[in-house]
Amino acid sequence: MTNSINEIENSEVLLVAGSNTTEAHPQVARRIYDAVDRGAKLIVIDPRRTKLASRAHIHLDIRPGTDIALLNGMMRAILDDNLADDLFVEMRTENFYALRDMLYRLDLAEVAAVTGVDQRLWQQAARLYARARKSVICYCLGVTQHICGTNNVQAYANLAMLTGKVEKEHCGVDPLRGQNNVQGACDMGALPGVFPGYQPVSDPKARAKFEQAWGVRLPAKPGRTLLDMTHGGGNGPVRGMFIVGENPLLSDPTMDKVRETMENLDILVVADIFLSETAQLADVVLPAASFAEKTGTFTNSERRVQMVRAAIPPLAESRTDAEIVIALANRLGYSMHYQSTAEIMEEIALLTPIYGGIYHDRLEESWGLQWPCFDRAHPGTPFLHKYMFTRGKGHFVPADHQRPAESVDEDYPLLLMTGRIYHHYHTGTMTRKSAALNRECNEAVLEINPADARALAVRNGERVRLASRRGAIELKAGITERVAPGMLYTTFHFAEAPINRLTVADRDPGSQCPEYKVCAAKVEKLT
Amino acid sequence: METRYILKKDHLAPWLRRVAKSHRVVAPVKNRHGDTLYAEIDGLDKVELDLAGQPQASAKSFFLPQQEVLFTYRTGKGGYEFHEPATPAPATVYFGLRSCDLSAILYTDVVFMGRHKDPGYRRRREGAILISIACHQPHPNCFCHATKSGPFLEFGYDLQFTDLGTRFLVEAGRSRGETLISQWRPFFSEAAEEDVKLQYQLALEANGLFRRNVDVGCAVRKLAEGEVAEGIWRELADRCQDCGGCAYLCPTCTCFTIRDEKLGPEHGERLRCWDACTLEGFSRMAGGHNPVAREQHALKRRFQHKLRDDVHKHGRPSCVGCGRCVGICFGGVDIVGFIDRLSEEDLP
Amino acid sequence: MSDCGCRKGNEQAENDKNGGNSYLPWPARIEAISEENSQIKTFVLAFSGDKRQQDYRYLPGQFLMVSVPHCGEAPISISSTPTRPGSVHLSVRRAGLLTNAMHGLAVGDTVGLRGPYGRPFPLETFRGKDLLFVAGGIGLAPLRSVINHALDSEHDGRIEILYGSRSPEDIAFKADIATWEATPKVSCRLTVDVASPGWEGEVGVVTRLLPQVDLDPKTSVALVCGPPLMIRFVMAELSRMGYSDERIITTMERHMKCGLGACGHCHMDDRLVCVDGPVFSLAELRGRDVVELRDKP
Repeated sequence: MTNSINEIENSEVLLVAGSNTTEAHPQVARRIYDAVDRGAKLIVIDPRRTKLASRAHIHLDIRPGTDIALLNGMMRAILDDNLADDLFVEMRTENFYALRDMLYRLDLAEVAAVTGVDQRLWQQAARLYARARKSVICYCLGVTQHICGTNNVQAYANLAMLTGKVEKEHCGVDPLRGQNNVQGACDMGALPGVFPGYQPVSDPKARAKFEQAWGVRLPAKPGRTLLDMTHGGGNGPVRGMFIVGENPLLSDPTMDKVRETMENLDILVVADIFLSETAQLADVVLPAASFAEKTGTFTNSERRVQMVRAAIPPLAESRTDAEIVIALANRLGYSMHYQSTAEIMEEIALLTPIYGGIYHDRLEESWGLQWPCFDRAHPGTPFLHKYMFTRGKGHFVPADHQRPAESVDEDYPLLLMTGRIYHHYHTGTMTRKSAALNRECNEAVLEINPADARALAVRNGERVRLASRRGAIELKAGITERVAPGMLYTTFHFAEAPINRLTVADRDPGSQCPEYKVCAAKVEKLT
Repeated sequence: METRYILKKDHLAPWLRRVAKSHRVVAPVKNRHGDTLYAEIDGLDKVELDLAGQPQASAKSFFLPQQEVLFTYRTGKGGYEFHEPATPAPATVYFGLRSCDLSAILYTDVVFMGRHKDPGYRRRREGAILISIACHQPHPNCFCHATKSGPFLEFGYDLQFTDLGTRFLVEAGRSRGETLISQWRPFFSEAAEEDVKLQYQLALEANGLFRRNVDVGCAVRKLAEGEVAEGIWRELADRCQDCGGCAYLCPTCTCFTIRDEKLGPEHGERLRCWDACTLEGFSRMAGGHNPVAREQHALKRRFQHKLRDDVHKHGRPSCVGCGRCVGICFGGVDIVGFIDRLSEEDLP
Repeated sequence: MSDCGCRKGNEQAENDKNGGNSYLPWPARIEAISEENSQIKTFVLAFSGDKRQQDYRYLPGQFLMVSVPHCGEAPISISSTPTRPGSVHLSVRRAGLLTNAMHGLAVGDTVGLRGPYGRPFPLETFRGKDLLFVAGGIGLAPLRSVINHALDSEHDGRIEILYGSRSPEDIAFKADIATWEATPKVSCRLTVDVASPGWEGEVGVVTRLLPQVDLDPKTSVALVCGPPLMIRFVMAELSRMGYSDERIITTMERHMKCGLGACGHCHMDDRLVCVDGPVFSLAELRGRDVVELRDKP
């Protein structure tokens, strides 16, 4: 997030895109509600009529994967109404003319046709967003999990820059992170092309710094992306995997392909707190400690680094992730010794400029520090891009609408979206162990529009077969107006109905994020 | 008139140390992270008692544990057998209970030792001695003056302590409390008239220190007369984030669920766990039908039960004004918000 | 119960009322199972140990908390009558985890029972009155208890039974119905929502049978049990026919965990179905927020 979560409360216009915030980020949703209570206007871009969408002043119920077309339409409306922030565009951005030319060539009728949204509605939304002094964009996986995910994000960034809605408090572009520490994992270089703190492996200076600190030679070439590993693409097959706290068998697209890759490995080692579906395929399972058993930090959506402290020692034979990595490193011949996790944090501070001033002792008695935090005296950074973008000037990247990888056709006439629900988390490795959560929800439900259900003679609660070109599962039908006719929605929490058996492996070329949000499917009655 | 005593603050630890020889002692303790919680004291010198701060949770879990084994079972060829675990409940002195928390125990007594005699609750309760501390510094969310469950109590305690600066005024409410004094009588002296006057003065001042003005009576009346508009229930349900935090933290929320935990193919245990009426699964029946429309009525039961049904049954609401739900509810639909909303309706 | 607080097959003491653990079930053996239809089975249960079985007392309308290994407990209304001692009948429809597991049990298997709980039908007020029973599906189970009790205790009024099922195949308690049909003073009318070949009886919802009843609402009592929607329509129709609210009696189904009035799950407005019910007259339900009375359930 470029903002802090609390800033949302004081924004005047909230544009929420591809985010079922109420269920996926209740703490953020609450602030959105509070903002609306104070008179803020809410615009929701979502194909589904989520709880938030039903409370929105404007709900732009686009067809899945048509964000770029919609955003181009909105930006065109802003140009037509002279609502662009000319000074900001002039001083702080570059490549504006490319964007402008593209927008002037735009066929507005086609935008309406592609998105399925009334032109007046998106124009209204554009004016609302552009005219307010404080407008914030929150987006989530409905924007990123497309083959054009990077361009989608860029389109939202274009909108924010065009209207100067960045650089200030209560203005910005905020991706809502899905896990308590996914931000921290990325910050620490759990990405193919960067060292901790987003220092590129291709940068010789960065490389030299880490080589000196760690006493090893480091590759200059980015590593493999997740799907290259789990789908065996790229440069020849992967022979061994060490998977920490992840369940790719259920969470990665095209499950049967993932299983094939896993089964063909020379060795699979999984460290997890429970025996996940992936761990069941492993040669070696290392029992890991839970959050309550370790001391360290998590970094949340708003870049806030916070301490967690072990409440109990690790149970039975389990060990913390750090202990596992250290023991493995030592056995593999690399000597690694730390007295405490605080000492690891000191190394992070030493090598990672954005974490340069973050130490355990500073975090002990506070609610954490938001990076960038360059040195001990630095107070942390509530919102980003003040006075200057990280890269210098903000670069407009015009983009055209791109069709999803798979379109509906006669054989697979329904468009399937996947996502999450309130009571379960990811592949359910933890939440489905909870009797309380299972009582609230213990089975996958396929959301289907009443019109489609009627055409298929499917009753509410009936078990149906859901199939795509890649596979089929059985699950319960839930008839609801939340999804539009022709669309389906379900979640990936349930191993009994593994939805990623159906999804496509096509992905965004930039982020390598697969298109979980769109595939063609059909529903069949079980006889 | 009951006898009132004085215990010098210097004598508190020595007296408690003696009490601890024959009792388990539970008291509000500030832990190393700065949080105050009721906790069993293991060595008086090792802990920091916090008699001024409001413990983050009430003492509910000592009587109605968050999770409790009701019995274990075996199944298989030998049939289906049920074995009650031997769970002794040691005689416990609860020292430093806030008035609200003590009032809450009096309410849970009605639930678990009234018509229904709950075996576990009774075991833990019968060996309990309750010593409250009168609050003369209400916390920001407190409103026990409005629910008449504090800040000073007139009954219900075995002993009530009032902080008079260098000394405590001690009132004995029940014979059990009296025994704790008479056993170690030399620590106590009889209170002088000025001590009693000072306590009276403090009680008066405390009543003026509440920052919240919560019109409980208005809510009770409107609920009794069925004057709460459907739209209000819907708005509350809309905002409720479905976390159950209010019920878990509430000292008088006693609803529970029972389930089996399978420990092996032929054995397991039956557990009783806290539950929350705000959750959808609370009332949903096997097969899916739910007599409560959660979308509209998620919080209706909670507020009606506390402010209407319990008034009807027991003559007083079962909210004790501790204000903890105000701090925990991140949907902004705690009981204070609800009551305020009803009383604001009457304003022009 | 022995001193150790365990309940095994042969122990006999009875101290549920006071010192005992009110959550501890008694083992009961499945003596027989009859399949009422594809979804409903009636389990004939006897407590392990003759004395407990002999001493066991309950009344029509009451329910038991039934334990099935690893599945927890569920409330099931008793479908037998205390006038026929020696066993207790539970008629169980497959609905959730526990009832499905119970359907998998066989004769000789053991379940756990607690109870009886709840307020029974006010049998004493039925004396000298005609009885009209209106049931849908599994709703006949608790009424079966009253009907057979009335027959066994030589009830001195007429008995009319109206029973609706989804289809002819779904008609449960066929053996009972056959007996009732052969009994003087009893008349039995059936209807199905959807007919199948060979069905020559009534088709439609059970309220369609009400006009055929020629009992005087002033001298009879109506007992209603079935799905919420059915209860609502039948009660409304009975009111129209002139039955006073006190003479319309139903029994409610709710999620329950304790049966003792403590767990809170079975709340129905200001009432708890487990101790204040499950039997209620319409007079007791009026003015309360009850899904069975709501216009839009």
